[in-house]
Amino acid sequence: MTILTHTLTLAQERGALDRLIFGNQVGNSNFVESHDWLFMFIFWLCVLMFVVLMGAAAYFTLKYRYKPGVPQQRSASHNTPLELAWSIGPLIVMAFLFVWGFQGFMDAHVAPSGSEIVNVQAQKWAWNLEYDNGATTREFTTDLFGEEGQGKQVPVFAVPAGRPIKLQMISSDVIHSFWVPSFRMKFDVFPNRYTTMWFEAQTPTGPDPKDGLFLFCAEYCGAEHSQMAGIIKVLDPHDYNKWKQEMGVDTRPPVEKGASLYVTKACNSCHSVDGTPNTGPTWLDLFGKDRVFTNGSTGVADENYIRESILEPARNIVEGYPNQMNSYQGQLTEAEIRSLIAYMKTLSEAGRAALTPEETTSSEESEGAEEPESGA
Amino acid sequence: MSSTHNATADAHAGGHDDHHDVSYLKPKGGMMVTIWDWMTTIDHKKIGVMYLFASLFAFFLGGVFALLVRLELFAPDVATLDAAGNPIIQGQIFNPDLYNRFFTLHGAIMVFLFIIPAIPAALGNFCLPLMLGAKDVAFPKLNLTSWYIYVVGAIFSVVAIALGGVDTGWTFYTPYSLDTPEEHWQVTFMTLGVFILGFSSIFTGMNFVVTVHKLRAPGLGWFDMPLFVWAIYATAIIQVLATPVLGVTVLLLALERIFKIGIFDPSLGGDPVLYQHFFWFYSHPAVYIMILPGMGIMSELIGVHSRKKVFGYRAVAFSSLGIAAISFIVWGHHMFTSQDALIGAIFSALTFLVAIPSAIKVINWIATLYKGSIRFNTPMLYGLAFLFTFSIGGLTGLFLGTLSTDMQLHDSYFVVAHFHYVMMGGAAIALFGGIHHWWPKMFGKMYNEPAAMLGCALVFIGFNVTFFTQFFLGTQGMPRRYSTYVQEFTTLHQISTIGSWILLAGFLVHLATFIHSLMAGKQAPPNPWGGLSLEWETASPPIEHNFHHEPVVHYGPYDFDDAVPPFCDPADYPLPDPLPPGEKSH
Repeated sequence: MTILTHTLTLAQERGALDRLIFGNQVGNSNFVESHDWLFMFIFWLCVLMFVVLMGAAAYFTLKYRYKPGVPQQRSASHNTPLELAWSIGPLIVMAFLFVWGFQGFMDAHVAPSGSEIVNVQAQKWAWNLEYDNGATTREFTTDLFGEEGQGKQVPVFAVPAGRPIKLQMISSDVIHSFWVPSFRMKFDVFPNRYTTMWFEAQTPTGPDPKDGLFLFCAEYCGAEHSQMAGIIKVLDPHDYNKWKQEMGVDTRPPVEKGASLYVTKACNSCHSVDGTPNTGPTWLDLFGKDRVFTNGSTGVADENYIRESILEPARNIVEGYPNQMNSYQGQLTEAEIRSLIAYMKTLSEAGRAALTPEETTSSEESEGAEEPESGA
Repeated sequence: MSSTHNATADAHAGGHDDHHDVSYLKPKGGMMVTIWDWMTTIDHKKIGVMYLFASLFAFFLGGVFALLVRLELFAPDVATLDAAGNPIIQGQIFNPDLYNRFFTLHGAIMVFLFIIPAIPAALGNFCLPLMLGAKDVAFPKLNLTSWYIYVVGAIFSVVAIALGGVDTGWTFYTPYSLDTPEEHWQVTFMTLGVFILGFSSIFTGMNFVVTVHKLRAPGLGWFDMPLFVWAIYATAIIQVLATPVLGVTVLLLALERIFKIGIFDPSLGGDPVLYQHFFWFYSHPAVYIMILPGMGIMSELIGVHSRKKVFGYRAVAFSSLGIAAISFIVWGHHMFTSQDALIGAIFSALTFLVAIPSAIKVINWIATLYKGSIRFNTPMLYGLAFLFTFSIGGLTGLFLGTLSTDMQLHDSYFVVAHFHYVMMGGAAIALFGGIHHWWPKMFGKMYNEPAAMLGCALVFIGFNVTFFTQFFLGTQGMPRRYSTYVQEFTTLHQISTIGSWILLAGFLVHLATFIHSLMAGKQAPPNPWGGLSLEWETASPPIEHNFHHEPVVHYGPYDFDDAVPPFCDPADYPLPDPLPPGEKSH
């Protein structure tokens, strides 16, 4: 009974079928109307064809079942006009599907002039959006995977409502695919070329990431493919500009910036900060420690060693770990490398002792607005 | 004419001293002698049976991986906190690396070791010469060669699995497949396995093309052939023409991994999308290598068990060739989200064309039921199940062929559900229908009909519970190849996993039925279903050389209105009144 009431409530709210098909997150872009209309058109077309076909099959099967001793009736074994009809009929319907699908497809491929360009960097296993003022997000949520904030940290990005955004996308390793189901749009992200997609979000979802839209990676990319996610929150243009300004003017102390970069640059995919072994060495108690390398040499994990490990990771590989890390040359500014080093210092006794005042205090001028020499 | 055949069958049953007249299954001597005989046999029936057991074993192995995948997806991952309060993310049961290996192996085994060889190489090998009234395929030694090539290819793949497995997905997309760490030489091993398996497929295809052209019995014209033969013929053409491209592709992939040439690897100046074009240029036609033989089985099941000439025989036959031809020009619809817009549009238009011959087949099968005399047995139940599941598989293809809806559904669970409805709901359901249809012929034993029907019902229910839910997962935004997911998707995933257990129960019932049939099944008559194609004119199991004398064809494979089936009691298969003189049968 409660299930029935529940179902009825759902049906009144948004329609149970609508909810079953399009999920809890409502569509929120300029593509939703035409996509959902075409989807539902094909859906009802399929239901109709399926019911007619299966109805006929069921009716014939029951009506003409074998009765002992009764011979079957003679009937035609072909009928050219009928056969032509059911060959050409579907062809006409499909011509319409093609044309409508093509129209939507071309709309999705051609961004309106004046779209705001946002750069997307994809890597195993994180998304990073870089806005036109150089801003990147500093907002994260842990609610996506696991209960009550215990899951992996994923970034939260903002987009404006009612203004077209054109994404210019590049990957630094394998193929990824940028998919926001509520936008009804996705496109693959390649390591050797820019691909673009555009959208115009419609309704603000508010500042709380809990109400934001899912961003998924739709092209298989390895171990953490399923958690290469993000949250897109749609803000009204005014709030969006404010958010972008805030993110652009990063006055946080380097140690905090480093903690953000740890997530946005996907360091957390391979390096833990709690001592857990992973693909790469943990950062806990790393700074200041003696390292033994696979080539037999040794060294101390100081600032220069960390910088070298980020930019030329293959030069010295710590004993017991695979040579798997890609170089971050060109993907981090010097300021960002310094922030990461500062963050790593906070994770060890020796490091905390070595922290300089500059590393722990906020700066007034914007450093985050620096343009990274990406693609260099 | 059936009475004369009855006499020979009786003589055969009474024991014949000529060794050519004994069942092909009769052991040649002691165990070692028998094993050696099977290992060196050039008898298409024995090779077909070996393929059948090998591919069913592959189906079991791929099925185990599928169940593990579903088990992991029963619930999303739970993150636990370590002492410092940071989340540790582990798989719910298996860690993501292991999960990625499971779904890769599930796909690779099911495609390369199960579906591609199962119907053509197992049932095709067994039935094709019998249906044509031939003693064997055109090149029996080549047939044995392709069996051993299959075994070698399978060993390569199994070794790659046993030594750690592959995590690239069965598509081996670059640069991921090039990027995985050096020690993952299993990828190279697995692709070489696929390369070798390709040759087996090519040889079988060549063999069948020549067999159909050259070895038809006297009087068996092209349009007197059973539709299963037409489907196998169309499949064989695709196998011969498309498989070499797969060989080239995986060879280039292996060379790229070993010598770093720069064909597909963007860091060396290669193009990863080029790989996708190469791969799907084979793998899309391969989809039809998988489904066309299943469609051929369907024509037999529906025709024989409803005792009707398959409606629009010529349209069904030509639609097989049409599908084979169109299958070569639609590969780009796997890349709507990665290629140029113009190319995408062209491929979308071409893709809709391939829907037509498939639709013609389904509608013609349904029209065949009209005014039939339908008998409910396991093969027919599977035939009806196929109509249901394959229709869903075909219709949902419309969403994916339409460009703008594919932009949303591409690489989502909708695609997973769609191709399972075609590959499993189509090809595998047809295969199991075909196995039950020809089981009495292959092994000379009947099976327990109620048990087999129960198995069929469980498979049908389990299949739909497992995969119908996945359409909604896809439209709601669940991407494929995810080892975990956001909590919204939990309920649907759980229903799907429960479905996979029902499916398992169905196949276990079948396994028990098969074993029971082999151990204690009733002796099968030569023609248990009242079929008219030539394989029913010989003993069950067939004698070593298939027929005592070269059969002469007097009626078409579906002329149920006019011919009493051989070895059958005419009372069981009453004929309609003869046509008034001067009127022609349709």
